[in-house]
Amino acid sequence: MKLTQWLKERFPIDYPKFVEINEKLFIKEPIPNHMKKWWYCMGATPLILFGLQVVTGIMLTFYYVPSPEMAFESVRHITEDVRLGYWMRGIHRWGSNLMIISLLLHIVRVYFTNSYRKPREINWMVGVILFLLTLTFSFTGYSLVHNQLAYWATTVGTNMIKEVPFIGMAALEFLRGGEEVTTNTLTRFFTIHVGLLPPLLILFVAIHIIILRVHGVSEPEGYPKGHFAFYPHHFYKIIIATLLLLTFMSALTVILPPGLGERANPAETPLHIKPEWYFFPTYRFLKLVPLQIGIWASAVFLVLLTFWPFIEPKISKKMETREKVAYTVGGLTLIFTVGFTIWEMMVF
Amino acid sequence: MDIIKAQQWLIGIFSVLLIVILLVVAGYEMKKSRQYEPEIEIDEVSAQCINCHENKGIAVKLIDEWKDSRHAVMGIGCNECHEAAKDEFDAMQCPESNLIIGKHPTPGDCRECHEQQVDEATNSKHAVGQVMMALKGPDRNVFEPTIGTKNGCEQCHNIGNYWPDGSIGECDACHSKHRFDPSQARRAEVCGECHVGPDHPHIEIYLESKHGNMYSAFGYEWEWDYPPGDPPPFSAPTCATCHMSATRTSKRFTHNVSERLTWESQAPFSVRTQDYWAGISWQEKRTRMKGVCLQCHGESFVDRYLLTADLTNLQYNQIWEETINWANILKDNGVIHTDVFSFAQQTLNAWPKEGYDQEIEHVMYRNWHHEGRRFRHGAEMMGADYTQWHGIWELQENLVKIIELGAENGITEAKKWMESKDPNKFMMYALYDMPGNAWGPSALAYRGNMPMDRIDNYWEIVYDNVRTVYDKGLLTEDQWLLYNELYENREKEIGRIYDMPPVHEEFMKNLDIDLKQLYQEQKVDLKSFKW
Repeated sequence: MKLTQWLKERFPIDYPKFVEINEKLFIKEPIPNHMKKWWYCMGATPLILFGLQVVTGIMLTFYYVPSPEMAFESVRHITEDVRLGYWMRGIHRWGSNLMIISLLLHIVRVYFTNSYRKPREINWMVGVILFLLTLTFSFTGYSLVHNQLAYWATTVGTNMIKEVPFIGMAALEFLRGGEEVTTNTLTRFFTIHVGLLPPLLILFVAIHIIILRVHGVSEPEGYPKGHFAFYPHHFYKIIIATLLLLTFMSALTVILPPGLGERANPAETPLHIKPEWYFFPTYRFLKLVPLQIGIWASAVFLVLLTFWPFIEPKISKKMETREKVAYTVGGLTLIFTVGFTIWEMMVF
Repeated sequence: MDIIKAQQWLIGIFSVLLIVILLVVAGYEMKKSRQYEPEIEIDEVSAQCINCHENKGIAVKLIDEWKDSRHAVMGIGCNECHEAAKDEFDAMQCPESNLIIGKHPTPGDCRECHEQQVDEATNSKHAVGQVMMALKGPDRNVFEPTIGTKNGCEQCHNIGNYWPDGSIGECDACHSKHRFDPSQARRAEVCGECHVGPDHPHIEIYLESKHGNMYSAFGYEWEWDYPPGDPPPFSAPTCATCHMSATRTSKRFTHNVSERLTWESQAPFSVRTQDYWAGISWQEKRTRMKGVCLQCHGESFVDRYLLTADLTNLQYNQIWEETINWANILKDNGVIHTDVFSFAQQTLNAWPKEGYDQEIEHVMYRNWHHEGRRFRHGAEMMGADYTQWHGIWELQENLVKIIELGAENGITEAKKWMESKDPNKFMMYALYDMPGNAWGPSALAYRGNMPMDRIDNYWEIVYDNVRTVYDKGLLTEDQWLLYNELYENREKEIGRIYDMPPVHEEFMKNLDIDLKQLYQEQKVDLKSFKW
């Protein structure tokens, strides 16, 4: 009691009000009844994974050295020498993979339930930004290992940025810290990965959640109407989901631990250069068409994706036609995405 | 189907599809990230050889070695090197198939892909390794039974094997089969397999040098697998670095190990190398070697160091000539029975064919073949102990032994030399010297009763000698300019103009105690048994 009093004297705020706001915003946050089902309550998965990425990422920076001479060696040190280092690295690497998968699942759910429609268009666009930020996270993180594959994927990847209309060259020089991939590139990627992207992601996640909260979670048909409080039921579900994800990722780390590869050698181009698998669809597409066309087409796709909530209503006045077109477009996009991913995986 | 059901189906199908497929893809890629061994693709014939060898357990370790090779990665299997026609010298019928196998792939076979490397090696002194052995010297032809030399001389000198197909050499002498890994050949131990022992202790000289010391201390962390054509990313050189590798200024790396050698210093006399080996002058060879040194050292150090080594070679020539003179005197007086030394000028046959039964003949042989090489090669490669105690000291002792033998046999000239108390008698041959050294001036190093103090006009004499060899074309113009600079500044270079450090007197006082006083103080009288 003495401690509470001591604190109150030093932080003279309105405690009853604070408790009330806390209860309203978090403890008693109304959760729709359908979310008692496990199938519907996994929306927080990307956020849980992001939380784990932050924790494991901080652990990794204790030992990681972002210099061309030391980067590979420090990752090797983490993987082979540091106590539980392989686990931290495994969770971080698998976390990035699962984050992409969970975001894709989230996009599928939002898209096919048409949850991007008015008045939630802005939140869809924020979602697209979050997805792109996550991909940037993955791209920059992958390059930090500084092995042959990562180095050359970075070289080729940044080289493609050069082809982006108007801003390509400037973006390339900004990312590489010059025209070539040098020491500057690694330190920039590291700074972007640990300094710039986390606050940006947190900011957009906050906007995403605030918009979600002010609109409320959309409720599907066929479930009893009504709400229950966030705490304890949903809170414990999130804890259970976190533990399940941690167990799943630990198992993956043990069964399929991330490798080290060979130390980056700028003088020796490997026979096969490939990005991480989540870039396979784009990479395969760019291999199929002339680079300039590929870049323009990708840019157009990105614009269409971002502004889809405004494009879809223009397709037709008839709701049925709109839905048919939307499901066909979405279905085909996913089939091409999966197909190109498998195709790229199968070839050298 | 109503819209809600359609949504649920679409979400369900695509979710399962994405989870399953993307997890499989992610898992597959994660597994690939651990693969160090590249996938090996070879033709059917090679696959047949490998399967059969592995099933029968024959030479499987060699196949494992091959799997680790760059050949394997590039799809070069067994057949590419072991293919043979029926009439080839090494043709063998495979007992399990209708294939004809070449048992001994030769440099001729390697040349099909590695033309430049084989041609360079064939123009190097490695290519005459077997010629040198086959000069009919008495060591292998008279003094030793042949069986004793098969695993001796032959094993190393086979680096210049004359193959029946006309090719010369033995690539796997340095690139162990079947891995053929350059990173092995870059290590000093590979050269040390043959360049070892009393007659050419190159690995020992290297290991006692600062270069070798750095290799011992840090070699474990050097990146041995650097790309060919790059300068080695090492903090000190190995044998290959100086004699073969590319430098920071020249991308050229060579398999002609003679390309940077300016002295034939393994011979009885040191001579500047001729253009035939590597097709360039010795001066150009020196420039290339200097290019290696300059990667780590300043030019002033390199020039001084190389000038010292050059003068050491020239000094050795004078010592060897004096040794031959005395041998001839002994021969004329019937003390030495062989006459071979009387024409032991620049020839590799400088050992007796008909005798080799007198100790003095052994001394003469070892004088150039063992001690003389150690003296010269130690000076060329920073091996202080080999230049000193295994080099010049033993050369001088050998000379004294020969003169002493002459004196014992009553030769007047020899007796006179033995009876002389003049310390300058040991400097009986023409001298070379240079003021100072490569390491930097010292207030002390050249003080004391040195030849330069005892011999009248010492510096004028050695200056004239150096000028004579420069006029003869055995030193470069740059070296002569450097020598003149050192000569003009000799007081500074010799260091006598500098004051001794204040502690010197204290050192001397205590050393005097060490030498004269301590034993007297610590001496004890003990009782011993009578017998």
